[in-house]
Formats: sequence, C-alpha cells, structure tokens
Amino acid sequence: MKILEQPRVSSGELSWLGGDRLERRVEQPAKEVATIADGEVTQQREGRKPRSFSLNRAPQLQVLLDSFVALLGGDASRLNQAFAIHHDGNAERWTLILTPRDTRVAKVIASIQIDGRGNEPRCMRMQEADGDLAIDLLGELAARMPAAPTREALAALCQGG
Amino acid sequence: MPRRGQAILLALWLLALAGLGALVAQRLKVSTDLRDFMPAPTTPDQRLLMEQVGEGPGSRLLLLALSGKSDAELAALSQGLVAALRKDPRYSQVLNGSFDLATLDERLLPYRYLLSPTLDSDSMDEAFLADQLQQRLDDLSSPAASLLKGLLPRDPTLEVLKLAERWTPPKSPELREGVWFSAQHEALLLVQTRAAGFDPDAQVDAVAGIEQVFHALPGSAGAKLITSGPGYFSVVVSQQTRGQAEWIGNVSTVGFILLLLLAYRSVSSLLLSALPIASAALAGIAALVLLFPQVHGITLAFGFTLLGVAQEYPIRVLSHRRAGEDAVASVRGLWPLLLTAIASACIAYLAFYASGVNGLKQLAVFTITGLLVAGFSTRYLLPHLLPGRVRDVAAMPWLLRARRFVDHLPRPRWVPLLVAAATVLMLVLAPGSFWQNNLAALTPLPQDLLQRDARLREALGAPDVRYLLILQAADAQGVLKLSEQMEPKVEALVARHAVDAVELPSRYLPSEATQRARQQKLPDRAVLQKALDDATQGLPFRKDLFAPFVDDVETARHLPLLTPEVFAQSTLGQRLSAMLVARDGHWLGLGTLSGVHDVAALEHLANESNGTMRLLDLKQASESLVVDYRTRILRALLVATVLMVLTITFALRSLRRAWHVLAPMTLATFLVLAVERAMGIEISLFHLVALILAAGLGLHYALFFERDTGDPAEQRRTLHATLVCVLSALLVFGMLAWSSIPVLRAIGLTVSLGVAFHFCLSILMAPHAGHGHARQD
Repeated sequence: MKILEQPRVSSGELSWLGGDRLERRVEQPAKEVATIADGEVTQQREGRKPRSFSLNRAPQLQVLLDSFVALLGGDASRLNQAFAIHHDGNAERWTLILTPRDTRVAKVIASIQIDGRGNEPRCMRMQEADGDLAIDLLGELAARMPAAPTREALAALCQGG
Repeated sequence: MPRRGQAILLALWLLALAGLGALVAQRLKVSTDLRDFMPAPTTPDQRLLMEQVGEGPGSRLLLLALSGKSDAELAALSQGLVAALRKDPRYSQVLNGSFDLATLDERLLPYRYLLSPTLDSDSMDEAFLADQLQQRLDDLSSPAASLLKGLLPRDPTLEVLKLAERWTPPKSPELREGVWFSAQHEALLLVQTRAAGFDPDAQVDAVAGIEQVFHALPGSAGAKLITSGPGYFSVVVSQQTRGQAEWIGNVSTVGFILLLLLAYRSVSSLLLSALPIASAALAGIAALVLLFPQVHGITLAFGFTLLGVAQEYPIRVLSHRRAGEDAVASVRGLWPLLLTAIASACIAYLAFYASGVNGLKQLAVFTITGLLVAGFSTRYLLPHLLPGRVRDVAAMPWLLRARRFVDHLPRPRWVPLLVAAATVLMLVLAPGSFWQNNLAALTPLPQDLLQRDARLREALGAPDVRYLLILQAADAQGVLKLSEQMEPKVEALVARHAVDAVELPSRYLPSEATQRARQQKLPDRAVLQKALDDATQGLPFRKDLFAPFVDDVETARHLPLLTPEVFAQSTLGQRLSAMLVARDGHWLGLGTLSGVHDVAALEHLANESNGTMRLLDLKQASESLVVDYRTRILRALLVATVLMVLTITFALRSLRRAWHVLAPMTLATFLVLAVERAMGIEISLFHLVALILAAGLGLHYALFFERDTGDPAEQRRTLHATLVCVLSALLVFGMLAWSSIPVLRAIGLTVSLGVAFHFCLSILMAPHAGHGHARQD
C-alpha cells in the first residue's frame, strides 16, 4: 500500500455462507469478523461497536464477493457477467485474469488474478487502480506467508510454489 | 331609445368592458397559496403553524418511492437520481441512504474539529492519536480499507464520518443494495426543495424536474416513480382545482345558455343579458386587482360561481316584462324588490369580509362589487338595449298549468311546524360530531394520496408533521446553546422510547461557546507534530503521510467560528436555517420529532424548562384556529342576520311581511343543515359559507313570492323567473356537488339542497299564492 511503508499482513478464514454472503474472520493481528450480506458489510472488532456500511461504497468487496461466490459456486455465467475473463495455462496449473466490467468498480479495482492448481485456487491478487496490491494466499499456501513479504516474493509464491 | 342611441350605448358599454379587461390582463397576479384560504392566525402558535405549513422544513420535503423493478435496478436508479439532483440548484438536500462524502463542502472541511463532539471528551494528544492510528491500521486490512484509504492522510481520526453519522436522519429505513428501501420493495428518497411548499409554480417545476431526470436515467423504462409530500400536494391541488373548475364551468355555461334560450327564445335577449354578468365579473376582478397584491385562484373559481346569483337580475327583467311594455318601465317596477335583494345579498357577503381570511375577504370584495355592478347595469343600462317587442311569458300554456298546480297545492298551516320539528329531530339524532375541526378536511386532497403520504413518511422516518419542539431564546446563539443543553435530556427520552428520534438545531451546528471550547483544545502545529511523531512510532505509516491533517488542525485553530449565516450557504446549512427562525425580536429553534409515543413525557420535559422549550401540537393549534375562525364567522353571521332583518323590514315597511320573507328562508337554511347532518356530514367552514350563499338565493325567491301584485299574470311571471333561477342555480351547483374536491362538493351540495328547499318552502309558505288563483277564477 502506498500509504504504508511495509505491507500489512493478516490471517484468518474466508468462508462462503451460501447465496451472496461471505464471512471474513481475521485472527491476526487483531480479531475481527466482517460479514457481507444483502448489500451490507458489517464489521465487528473486539471491544468496539460494530460498524456497517453499504457494499456500494466498497467496490473492492463487491468484486471479492462476485468472484468468490461465482468461483466457489461454479457459476460461470455470473463470473462472465461481472468480469471480462482471460484464461491461461492448463488444468493442472492455471491463471485467471478478471477485469471488472462495471466502470465504477473498475475505477477502484483494475484487475484480479487468480492462480490455481486443479480444483483449488491458491492465490488471489487484487490490483487496485491506485497501484496498491492485495494478495490473498489461499488454502495450504496461506501457511507459507513470509514474515516480511514483498510483492515479488509473493508473486513467485503464487506462480511457482 | 332610438336605434342610434342604442348603438352608441352598446359601444360605450363594450368599450368600458374592454378597458376593464385590459386593466385586469395587465395587473392580475394569481396566487395559489392555499394558506390564503385558511383562517388568519391569532396566537403565536397558530402563526408558527401557518409558517410551518408553508415554509417550514417539513413543507419542503418531497418523499419519493421507486418501484416496479428488481432491488438492484431500483438501487441503481436511486443512485442515478441522487447524483443528478444534487447538481440541481432547485433542491437543497437529496438523500437516499448512502452517505456521499462529496456532499460536504470543501471549504467547511477544517471546521470538522469544531463541529464534531470528539474534542469534548478527548484531546489531540499522543495517547489518543496512537489509539486512533492503531485502529486505522486495522481498518486498512479490513473490508473498509478502500473506503477509508483516501480519507486517512487528511482525517486519521475520521471526524468526517462522525459528522456524517450525526447528520444522517436519526431514524432511517432499511438499507438494501446500499440505499433505503421500504417493506414494499420500493427504493425511497428524500428531497428537500429550495422553494416553499405552497409556492405551487416553483413546486410544479421541482416535481417536473425530478420526473424529467428520472425518465432520462438509463433503465428507468418500466420503473415507477411515486412522489408525495406537501409540495407535490400543492401541485395536485392547483391542477385539480383548475381542471375541475374549467370543466364544471364549461358544462354549466353550455347548460345555462340552453336553459335561457329555452326560456326566452331570443338570441339577442340572451346575448344582452350576458352583459351585466360580464361587467360584474370584470369589475369584480378589477376591484381585487386594485385592492390586493395577489388574487387567489380559488377566489376567482368560486367568485365566478357565486356570481351566478347576479344572473337572476336580468332573468327577472326578462321574465317580468309584459307584452308591449317598455323595458325601462318594467325594470322600474321591479327595482325596489331587486334593490332589496341586492342590498341584502351584499350585506350577507360582508360576513365573508369579516371572516378575517384573506381568500374569503377577496371573495367578498369580488362578489359585492360584482353584484352591485350587475344590479345597477341591469337597472340603468340593460333596459335601454333590450328589443322593443318581446314575448310575454305569462301567456305560455305550460306556465298557466304550472301556476295552477302551484296554487292548488295544499298549504296546511302545520307544514312549517312539521318541517321545523323534523329539522330539530334530525339535528339532534344526527351521527358524528357537528363541526368539522380538522383543517386537513378543508384542503382538497384525495384520501388515497394522504394515506400514501403517511405510509412513505412512516417508512422514511420523516419527521412527524404533528409535533414540534420549540426552543426560544434572545438570539440564534442562545437557541443553539439551549439546544445543546436539551440534547442529553432529549436523548434520555429517546432511550426510554418516549419518542423514536429528535432532531435539534445543535445537531447540525454547535453554539459558538462550544466551538470556541473545542478550538481552544486544538494543539498548535509543533505540539501536534510531536504527538503525531510519537504516536506513529513503530507503526508502518509512511513519513509525512499525515501532513494534510496537521495543516487542517492548524487551519481550524484560526478559523472564525461558524455562524448560522455562513453555514447556511452550504448544502447542510440549508437544513439548519429551516430549523432556526427569527420572530418578533427573539429566535426560535424548531426541533423535529419522529415517532412520538409518549406525549406526556415530552410535555413534562417542556414544563421543566421554564418556558424556554415547549411542545407545539400542530393539530391542536390548527383545530383551535378553525374553532376561532368559525366563532368569527358565526358572530359575523349574527350581525349580518340582524342587518338583513332590518334591511328587509325597512324595505317592505312591515314586520309581518318581513316575517313572511324571512320565515321560509330561515327554515330552509336549518333544513339544509339538518339534512346534511343526517347524512353524516360534519359541518365545515365551507358548508357554512355555502349556507349563506343559498340563503341569499332563497331570499330572492321568498321576496318575489311574497310580493302581492294582485295580478295573476304577474304571479305567473314571478313563477317563470323563479323557475329559471332555480334551474340555473341547480345546474351550476348541482355540477359542483359531483366534484371530487371536498370543498367544491361541500359548496355544491349545500347550495343545491338549499335552492331546492328554499324554493319549495317559499312557495308553500307564500301568503298570496292562493289569492291570485282565486281572483283569476
């Protein structure tokens, strides 16, 4: 992130609750549960009042929701509706590059790159329009997050590993 | 009069009418402010009520509901509508549930430190900043990151969000797809217009603007936009009133022409008899134009209707003319009676003038001028123009039969007694309450519109239109200070569920004292920079990231305090200025309430405030206004009655004869009242006004039937003239009775019933009816 000198690392669980609902549970560095449901995001942090805001105000989350729900649910038409899809590689080792179709979303999120093996997505890179990058290591890869990660090291992890 | 003279007179008359017409066309300004037609306020609460009804924040609010598509599509439409309307200067506030930071005025941004309550409990020291920055860091790895990222350098303590939370309406509808939705799957929006609620021209423009923007949005095809609120209502009312008045006027005019052609079979008589009416109407409007800055639209619509009375004058002249008799001589014979009728009608309309309601005053000026002009032109101008040879209506065979029928009607002395007894019985046994005190019942709004408004208002948590908290102090700052003192007490009531939400002026702008205290707590640049440096120690924030924040705090330290005047120039300040009003050397703050559950608790709080705060019940104030108003009309009516009795007794020079005129009239008036009450109608001010009008018409019938000419042919002419008058009145007012506008309906029904009853009773109670018949035999 541009406004930070070092990348920010957090770990936890991302779960699909069915339908348009996702739960993001963070264990490190601070406990936090965020739920996306019915166009609303509710954020609950230990010892603080819950905060909620509209999904419209967080396009990043909208994209996350769209891509995740479509991927996990195997809903190709939904994925196609939200993104222009570029597919690379083979069944063993593949890369999907998703570009948001909604111009409003595209102003915030430039693209999403998902790397995977077989049935399992391993890594999700969200390129924000202002140059910031968020990288999610998924599944077994998550355990291999370095203590002081750099973009390059993580990219290598995603592609190679 | 020789033909040449006639031509000159006609030309001069038409010229005079053209002159009046030119004056009217040049000076006439029609107002549609409904308040002109409401009673004049006397107490401070009533005055506040009238202002609130017209210009208060509540009256400027338009409630919008979008329906007919999927939630997601409606949400997109809602966002599109908001984006377009916020750019439009006609709207001071547009809300749909999503708070957009862009609505905040850039110049006011440094003021956030003076407006937000943060500094009341915290100070900008290292501990506070460290805690805040740690939270921001957590935010950055949370879903809210993209939302907050842009704010961070300038506003790491998120004062802008605190203000946004503070300023969003206290009770909001459910959020779906990021915007407000009702339980009926409608996307909801609140729009505050810059124009006052009862400025229908501006409101027409504002409502049309919304519809235009809506229909221009991509994807709006198939979606439905519903508008509600006082401003929209004033649009509906003015359109409806105009539409119906035009429609009713056209049909009545055609019917009236046909009736007169049938009655007199002379086109020239018909055309000439229109001259007194045309003169009356033009002179009436000219008088209004000269006396009042603006003429009320309803005055004109009603005034033309009421002038139907004046059509009686030429009708009497036409009907009463004998074959071969000179028109001037014939009018001279009728004039004493006509003059009595005109004088007493004018006196009755004086009661309207005394009502103290601007619209009714105008109506009185219009009608009195009109009646006098119609009467005098009928007497002194019309006869000179009428054709020399006419057909004597007395010779018409059907009239002979009709007169014989009327004369042969049994007239037992107990009929009036029976009618009187029935009247009393109906009045006593009638269901419901006698008087209609609800001001809303007078404003001609369809019930379904009102219900829809109530539903949307409830869904949007829009302020209750019934109650207001009034804070009073010597100046605006005093009101704000008072409002700050009241805030915790009012919040305690909200916590106890006495009321769902309260909005006080200090929610938008703290008093100068509070702002100054917060300003003094702001550290200077060096101190803040040091605290910030210490706080960011060990945190990964980029160096100098928060320079804009340090700059803003420094700016805020030297800002002149934000006054209501300066604040009013911003979008949000518009809202405040609607809540702060100057009045008679002091200032009032208007607190709006939503969802009042416990009025007693609010009253208790108001009582404890030593008169600095009170609870205004707008419904109660408006009902007291109506009662006041009615008392005034009734008092005026009493005076008018006494004057009328005196006029008629003086004119007829006999108490007994005056009794014969006034008894049927009085009985018929009470009979109308009794029948309407028995139908379950609650008597409103407009019913009263219509009763007066009917009584004026009834007076004509009774006066002419009472007249003892000793000539059966003349008695037949009287019957002819009266029948034409009754039929024309029934035509005009019967049409009004079918109107969907409550006020027009009240007037139409009352006058129609009145005309029928007055006619029947004045025939049945006429003293000489039988004599004429006897002498004829």
